[in-house]
Amino acid sequence: MASTRQFLDSIKPHFVEGGRLQKLYPIYEMVDTFIYTPGDVTHGTVHVRDIIDLKRTMTYVVVATVFCVLMACYNTGYQANLAMSEAGLGSVENWRRIIMDSLGYSTLNPLSNFIHGLLYFLPVYIVTLAVGGIWEVLFAVVRKHDVNEGFLVTSMLYALILPPTIPLWQVALGISFGVVIGKEVFGGTGKNFLNPALTGRAFLYFAYPAYMSGDSVWVAMDGYSGATPLGVAAAGGMDAVNQGFSWFQSFLGFIPGSMGETSTLACLIGAAFLMLTKVGSYRIIFGVFLGMFFTSTLFNVIGSDTNPMFGMPWHWHLVLGGFAFGMTYMATDPVSASQTNPGRWIYGFLIGVMTVLIRVVNPAYPEGIMLAILFVNIFAQLIDYAVIQVNIRRRAKRYV
Amino acid sequence: MSAVSDNEVKGLIDEIKDNQEELKQVVREPLVDNNPITLQVLGICSALAVTSQLTTTLTMCIALTSVTAFSSASISLIRNHIPSSIRIIVQMTIIASLVIVVDQILKAFAYEIAKSLSVFVGLIITNCIVMGRAEAYAMKNPPIMSFFDGLGNGLGYSLILIIVAVIRELLGSGSLLGYTILPTVQNGGWYVPNGLLLLPPSAFFIIGLLIWCFRTWKPEQVEQPDFKIMPAHSAEGGH
Amino acid sequence: MSKNDSPMNSKNNTVSGLKQKLDQLLGKIRALGNDSLEKTIAVAVGVSLFCAVFVSLSAVALRPLQVSNKKLDIDKNIVTVAGLISEAEASDGDKVRAALQSIETRLIDLDSGEYTDVVDVETFNARKAAGDPELGLIIPRKDDIAHIKRRSKLSKVYLVKQNGQLDALILPVNGYGLWSTMYGFLALEADGETVRGINFYDQAETPGLGGEVVNPRWRGLWKGKKVFGSDGEPALRLVKGNVDPSKAGSEYQVDGLAGATLTSTGVSNLIKYWMGQNGFGPFLGKFKAKTLEGAA
Repeated sequence: MASTRQFLDSIKPHFVEGGRLQKLYPIYEMVDTFIYTPGDVTHGTVHVRDIIDLKRTMTYVVVATVFCVLMACYNTGYQANLAMSEAGLGSVENWRRIIMDSLGYSTLNPLSNFIHGLLYFLPVYIVTLAVGGIWEVLFAVVRKHDVNEGFLVTSMLYALILPPTIPLWQVALGISFGVVIGKEVFGGTGKNFLNPALTGRAFLYFAYPAYMSGDSVWVAMDGYSGATPLGVAAAGGMDAVNQGFSWFQSFLGFIPGSMGETSTLACLIGAAFLMLTKVGSYRIIFGVFLGMFFTSTLFNVIGSDTNPMFGMPWHWHLVLGGFAFGMTYMATDPVSASQTNPGRWIYGFLIGVMTVLIRVVNPAYPEGIMLAILFVNIFAQLIDYAVIQVNIRRRAKRYV
Repeated sequence: MSAVSDNEVKGLIDEIKDNQEELKQVVREPLVDNNPITLQVLGICSALAVTSQLTTTLTMCIALTSVTAFSSASISLIRNHIPSSIRIIVQMTIIASLVIVVDQILKAFAYEIAKSLSVFVGLIITNCIVMGRAEAYAMKNPPIMSFFDGLGNGLGYSLILIIVAVIRELLGSGSLLGYTILPTVQNGGWYVPNGLLLLPPSAFFIIGLLIWCFRTWKPEQVEQPDFKIMPAHSAEGGH
Repeated sequence: MSKNDSPMNSKNNTVSGLKQKLDQLLGKIRALGNDSLEKTIAVAVGVSLFCAVFVSLSAVALRPLQVSNKKLDIDKNIVTVAGLISEAEASDGDKVRAALQSIETRLIDLDSGEYTDVVDVETFNARKAAGDPELGLIIPRKDDIAHIKRRSKLSKVYLVKQNGQLDALILPVNGYGLWSTMYGFLALEADGETVRGINFYDQAETPGLGGEVVNPRWRGLWKGKKVFGSDGEPALRLVKGNVDPSKAGSEYQVDGLAGATLTSTGVSNLIKYWMGQNGFGPFLGKFKAKTLEGAA
């Protein structure tokens, strides 16, 4: 390790001011701080020292998604293999057969499931990293700011919320929009008010809805039509869902859906990790949950003859669609969420309310959490402002 | 009416002759340097609504440019007689009348386009550019100058709208002026149209990006930041 | 004024007198302070009067053109849905009017299925009639599969004649999609069974998804489809994905609109409602019986 440090130190003069490669300093800085703790020290007398810096925070989020990634690979492959055995197909008709033919396509073979899914997840993830990374570095160089680890989180979350069948050029377009419009135009990490990963996905959702919604995109097999349980519920209500899926199956995540968000269990493990390390705010997570619980129960009580979604109970809302994933990883994004503690409760609660509202009442969008989080992102600053103003007034009253 | 005598007509002609340079300036400036959309950020609502097709956009541009030019000219004609207490209403009346007439003409001679423009021709009445030019320019300047000022601002508006519409129609429907350029998947071609561009919010993004381009090209258009954020690494101690 | 003034002269005099008075008045107004009450009122009245005349004149002058445009717009849809002229030709008003010569417009009573003349067919407007207490009716909720709430008791039908023979039948239909009520025409062959064409002239579905109901390519898929199943009930509907022409029943199926489940359902419901017993069912029943007898 010492040799890498020496190497980095030896080339540093080229990148600092006056060096030949001065413009590329952000790239040097990125590599350096990726491997080593930053060498910056604070000057002056008053300062707070904490081992948690932005880099550590972001890395923890990536670590927290590990079970989701594993489930993403396993379930994507499992669903594909399942669809193939139903259709009686013995082999896939694309480049994946080179590897998959030797493993077989049995759903009983965990390795086959996992590798098959990995062959769908990996290309998406690599394209995300490559294209998003190019934008990130480009802006870092032009704007002279550091390349930030926040991008690793964005790219990981973005790849996890895409359907397995998405064309790779759309992946590239979506992450470009997410990084550039969702973040860099506002000045980069820390200055964006929307979650970049969700911005990218929302772009794809509205630009190419046929590839991002409907029945035929969730299982990685050509021509296979399998609705997500949430889509089934929107069309036929809880009875239809119960016919096809059990609650426990949905909780574990063996259902069609976006790659990384099917497993509520994996998300909850991630949520526990984030809350324990205090990287993700427990106030936001519980706020989202309570908002969802409150609104879905309210709809259950009201009831409706014509809209079957009214009858969906809260424990189903929890396990279907991207709710658990959004609650754990998207709502807690430290940049675009509210920063005050009471604000976090309100912020989370509003997301929960909006999610159920969109899922139940809006006829066009069966999935609500993506739009709900983006919507409440916009209000995050306003919530903080209100909380601070209330606090200032409350304290001012003491001195009347 | 004897209000317009030969002398006054002659005066108008002289006005053009005397102010040729300024006239050019008045028409040219709103195109890029003082564009009503990208610099003043006015008239955005119709820019969002009508730009999904180039045909409707062109019609809208012509409608707005003529309304702005003629309303500015007519308001300027009577500017010395408008009581300040009712000046906004007088301006509105003149603008509204012109808009209604334009709308009637469109319905009579370009029904299809009028149908797809629906309420947005009527909404020119509330377009900030028209009111803005009347209040800011026509009330203080002679008719011919006001006419060209209205024309210039209308053209500035049109320039941006046409750029937005070309992007939106080409990438959103694969066509321009209704002629297929990129054959879409729905019609058996290869191009997957971008559905976002058919929705009005996409014009926001495009206008935003255009403003970005304009300000990179002409940095003097960039506004001063309200406050400066201190860069973390150069934060030296000793407050 | 002298006694020998001819009437002509005295008229001239009054005109010039009026002109003088007007000049005086204008002069007075001009002389007034801009913010005086009199001037304010005078300018307000003057501007309003001038604008009112200006607007009214243009409206009156352009009215006939507008009315004919409006009619032409509807006519265009009628003649193109029946395939009398192509959509490219429809921009030519003369061709539309020529094609219209072969179309006879009749009014029917939807419940009885008989032709009727209770109101004038030229002035009849189905949308207005639907809201009319006399001519309209509220559709009972269980029957309202097209989600249109109200409909007119009467409806126009368009009979296309070629060389005196009935060639096609055009029926106005409407139904709720995802965001809007879609208004359109369905053209049937003379057998009253086979679809010749469909179009929508008024809809506000999502552009690129549900909005594809106006796509000529998709509408082309309808030609030759059968409306009624073997049991006589409307069977034509949209299916998810593509129709497999080799399968049985494909003549009752049209490709659904990709990514627009609710609009597709809306179109299916619209067909089901308007072809059923609460829509054109009684009329089509009698119509088919009549064609068997050889009468149009």
